[in-house]
Amino acid sequence: MARDLDIVSRRGRLTRGALSVWALLIYVFLFAPIVLLVVFSFNANRYGTFPITGWTTKWYGQVFHDYQIRDALTTTIRIALEVTLVSTVVGTAAAFPLVRSRLPFRSGIRIALVLPIMIPGLLIGVSLLVLFTNVFHQTLSPTTAVIGQSVYTTPFVLLLVAARLQGFDASLERAASDLGANTFKRLRYVVLPLLAPAILAGALFAFTLSLDEFIITLFLIGSHNTLPIYIYTQVKFGITPEVNALAALLLAASLCLMALAFVLPGIVRRALRLVPRRAG
Amino acid sequence: MTMPGSSPGVEAAQSADTALPLGRPGRGAWASRLGEYAGFGPALVLFGLFFLVPLGLIVCYSFWQTIDYNVVHHWTVDNYRYFFSVPTYVRTLWATVWVSVAATALTLVLAFPFAYWLARYVPKRYQKVLLILVILPFWTSYLLRVYSWLTILGPQGAMNRFLHWTGATSKPVSFFLYDRPAVILVLVYLYFPFAALTLYASLERFDWNQFRAAMDLGATPGTAMWRILLPQIRPGITTAVIFVFIPILGEYLTPQLVGGARGVMIGNLIVNFFQGAQYTRGAAAALLIAALIVVLLAVFRRSLEVEDPYGT
Repeated sequence: MARDLDIVSRRGRLTRGALSVWALLIYVFLFAPIVLLVVFSFNANRYGTFPITGWTTKWYGQVFHDYQIRDALTTTIRIALEVTLVSTVVGTAAAFPLVRSRLPFRSGIRIALVLPIMIPGLLIGVSLLVLFTNVFHQTLSPTTAVIGQSVYTTPFVLLLVAARLQGFDASLERAASDLGANTFKRLRYVVLPLLAPAILAGALFAFTLSLDEFIITLFLIGSHNTLPIYIYTQVKFGITPEVNALAALLLAASLCLMALAFVLPGIVRRALRLVPRRAG
Repeated sequence: MTMPGSSPGVEAAQSADTALPLGRPGRGAWASRLGEYAGFGPALVLFGLFFLVPLGLIVCYSFWQTIDYNVVHHWTVDNYRYFFSVPTYVRTLWATVWVSVAATALTLVLAFPFAYWLARYVPKRYQKVLLILVILPFWTSYLLRVYSWLTILGPQGAMNRFLHWTGATSKPVSFFLYDRPAVILVLVYLYFPFAALTLYASLERFDWNQFRAAMDLGATPGTAMWRILLPQIRPGITTAVIFVFIPILGEYLTPQLVGGARGVMIGNLIVNFFQGAQYTRGAAAALLIAALIVVLLAVFRRSLEVEDPYGT
């Protein structure tokens, strides 16, 4: 028996060691491309790849002085803000009946609401392209891109807010109702402060997803550019250090926003603990 | 990060029946009913008009005809017949299935030992951080994650430079870029977080005492894994397969950027059709992807029902 355990544990140690090495390699695999991209963006070499011939920040300077990039940045941010607004409102509103009402076909509705995340973006893109150009006879514009992206980002907000709403004690709201609060007051002083962290996280998610969205935008943006579309058109002609610098900036932006999406809700939650007192 | 196994809202919705709707007594039943569902209004417009209607439209288009660049509402299967009459298209369809299967299998084979290590050998308090690290790249730009490989692969890429430097090759090898292996490599890279997260979620719930019990009763680790562990995490594996396979079927960017002429997938065909204003043919090709997805879901339906990732 003791010998058995010994074998097991020795083998266990070996397995554990091998698996740890495996996991380390996985992390290298996941991060090497991203890290290299950032390293190349500081490389003086004009070809945007090895060898490293010196360190420079001049590519970043060129990024900021390129008017095409500035245009694309403006469009990107405008679209991202609109997408954030649309998906936050639509997602939050839909979370209420999804969690609270007696729904017929609940599972069907639920799947329909999550489907836009599941199916390839390509299908969303081409189907909306057909709708806008052949049925509505619309010119493609940033607005059509906003609609397309919102279809994809809204389910994320919906899921986040629904989760929060689920963990929320409905008796609080009934208590407010008993104390004479009308629907508006209940929403303003009870429900929204409690949901605020989830709504905020959802908004940040939506913004980040919109910032990085590529395939739906490609079909619906028309003659405008967002940053991912701009990078895509540049990359067709090869790697340039300017694109590396722009890419590194975009990476940093997404990572910061995601970090915010994880950290901010906690801060807001703590800050909002004061609200009910003020309301009283 | 919203994965099937852990999607919060989906679970959220399940016990909704316990929450009584707030409605004041005396108000008409209809009005309160309507108020209850009012929140769905905007979503109905967004998902109905801009998601379901366009998808239905694509289905119709795939059975309509294009005559002189005008779409004629004349029902036919010509678009499908045309697709299957062109050998290149048929070959691309099979290549797409093949690449998707290979990339999905490879992703899972890479992710399983990793998830196993994370769930079994890492102390609980570090698991979450290490998991977030895996998902982190997933939250950066999809385009950039594909693009970053262009700096690594290819004759001028980091990989070739490295091999040259170590003396493994004397001149640049083009094997790494513009071919199917490059496409598979990048696809594995893109969808690894999906698989790792889903597999971890099911391994984390596994009771390792059962594993030890099996070994006490004389099972080898291999047998214990095959007969005790695998049957219990099979729903997780199925979910991982589905959530890696489906997006890969519709991939456009990866084959476009790193695949070259030999790495073409059906997504590229669809884009070419639509950019060439051949809407009805493009719709048929798009419907083929949708059909493959439906087949996949039907095949795996039974094992999905066991775990029920949607919490019905």
